[in-house]
Amino acid sequence: MKKLILITLASLGPAVAGAQQTGATPPPGRLLASNCFQCHGTDGRGDGTFERLAGKSASDIYNDLREMKAENKRGEIMTIHALGYTDAQLRAIADYFSKQPR
Amino acid sequence: MTLHRRQFLSRLAAYCAAAGIPAFALADDDHEHEHDEDRRREPDSTTSQPALPETGLTGRVVVVGGGMAGAAVAKFLRLWGGTGVQVTLVEREPRYTSNILSNLVLTNSVQMSDLAFDYARLASAYGIAVIRGEATAADPVAKKLTVATASGPQVLDYDRLVVAPGIDFAYPEGLQTPEAQALVPHAWKAGPQTTLLRDQIRAMPIGGTFVMTVPPTPYRCPPGPYERACVVADWVKRNKPGSKVIVLDANAAITAERESFTRAFEVTHGGVIDYVPNAPVTFVDTAAKTIHTPMGPFRGDVLNVIPTNVGPRLLADIGVANAARGFAGVDVLSYESTAVAGIHVIGDASATTQPKAGHIGNQEGKVCADAILRLLGGGTPDPSPVTNSSCYSPITWETASWLTAVFAYDPATRTMKVVPGATGEALAATKDHFEDMFVWFRTLMGDTFA
Ligand SMILES: Cc1cc2nc3c(=O)[nH]c(=O)nc-3n(C[C@H](O)[C@H](O)[C@H](O)COP(=O)(O)OP(=O)(O)OC[C@H]3O[C@@H](n4cnc5c(N)ncnc54)[C@H](O)[C@@H]3O)c2cc1C
Repeated sequence: MKKLILITLASLGPAVAGAQQTGATPPPGRLLASNCFQCHGTDGRGDGTFERLAGKSASDIYNDLREMKAENKRGEIMTIHALGYTDAQLRAIADYFSKQPR
Repeated sequence: MTLHRRQFLSRLAAYCAAAGIPAFALADDDHEHEHDEDRRREPDSTTSQPALPETGLTGRVVVVGGGMAGAAVAKFLRLWGGTGVQVTLVEREPRYTSNILSNLVLTNSVQMSDLAFDYARLASAYGIAVIRGEATAADPVAKKLTVATASGPQVLDYDRLVVAPGIDFAYPEGLQTPEAQALVPHAWKAGPQTTLLRDQIRAMPIGGTFVMTVPPTPYRCPPGPYERACVVADWVKRNKPGSKVIVLDANAAITAERESFTRAFEVTHGGVIDYVPNAPVTFVDTAAKTIHTPMGPFRGDVLNVIPTNVGPRLLADIGVANAARGFAGVDVLSYESTAVAGIHVIGDASATTQPKAGHIGNQEGKVCADAILRLLGGGTPDPSPVTNSSCYSPITWETASWLTAVFAYDPATRTMKVVPGATGEALAATKDHFEDMFVWFRTLMGDTFA
């Protein structure tokens, strides 16, 4: 029997608690981390995205990214992304997500 | 249907929690579907409100074009800049139709309604003023933008103007009238042209020939034309046996995901796809249904010409079309025009070393928003921005490949350069990647419009 399955795209609601900042100095890591939003949701939050990053421990995120970078496996999308950043940048990204409300 | 795919569909269905973005349709077999089990769910109205920060920043930013780049810059200006930054979005259409995944409309796996996104959430959750109209002129000295609306012209004052109008086409000889364009669609801006091409492919005779063209680089979505050839070839194999797909490429070789598409053309769809490089279109004879190229004339039952991509006229009209083919040269630290101060150009309309694509257009929107906010606060743009591009390409009705790259600012050349090692494509077209494509799509669209 032919069937049609229709799926509703869940909204990836934006942050409910905005990070505090002042004037022209945005929170460190935010612009770098925004590269992850397209697949992990705005601020690392949202249902049905790839892994939710908001509120995870900074060391877990950092260590995972370092590991993916070190593995250097061909054809692994996250290895390719991890290779795009210096370790200091990866740490800034991890810190940013760790500070986002879950 | 395999269990694998069944799990995939139920997994996706489970994502339907909150909504606000239209429903997404997936036919679960390869034939034309029937609505015998319509499990469509109406999107819930989303109520969660973002807390916009108090940054102390003030300013007026007007954004032209509510596509992948324009919607993203508008959203992040408010999310990051807070309530003191007034953002007005000018868009000619009542809603956005995603180009991404629109090739799957041609094979009936996706419906046009599934690609529709509106501006309600940007207005209600982020307080963006959305004006429906056509931006026609700008005065960069007085900092005013003129917009033609249904109720007459409006003039908007801005401190910063962001322009994200996408692309336009330079039609080849034979395709310059609307009548000719209605016979030979491009389907390269998703909309009526997409359904026109879908209907033509459906009506193609068994054993017929589909001839499509690839424009010269740079064009929107480098893998897109090859992806189209693959999904159409896959569809005709099952629905119009004996048919052929001829790909006339203006370029000397496949321009993106060369390994994946070479394998797809020679193996997966071997005997169905004929790939002809170095074949730019010189003339389209709509009466004889023939595309002329230096490699010879090619007759088809259905013709699909994707014309040369050029910068929209608006860029020239406001004085920022200073790069090849009428695109806009920009400083990639802020996307400010290199020709006119105070005007930023993002997305496909800008000329950079980055691909013209939606995922990276969204990121250009974020870099631009961050830079504008710093400038409004009296600072300078981030000196070392990073961007990334990702494209998933369906290869058959159930498999896909992907291509990704990370770009970092290179101060020596003042361009965005691929970070060494940080680019690659899928090793094979798989069902897993096909599943991931939909997760990626809905997340990307949520990050842009919700
Ligand atoms: C078949 C296909 C498949 C694709 N697949 C992918 C993919 O897998 N991944 C990917 O990253 N990209 C993909 N793309 C490319 C992607 O769709 C574009 O790169 C992206 O849409 C560019 O975003 P933009 O904001 O620059 O332009 P657009 O999204 O085209 O938005 C421009 C907007 O500006 C409006 N506008 C224009 N001029 C005016 C004016 N004067 N006044 C008011 N409004 C105006 C238009 O109505 C439109 O809404 C694909 C494209 C196609 C055609």
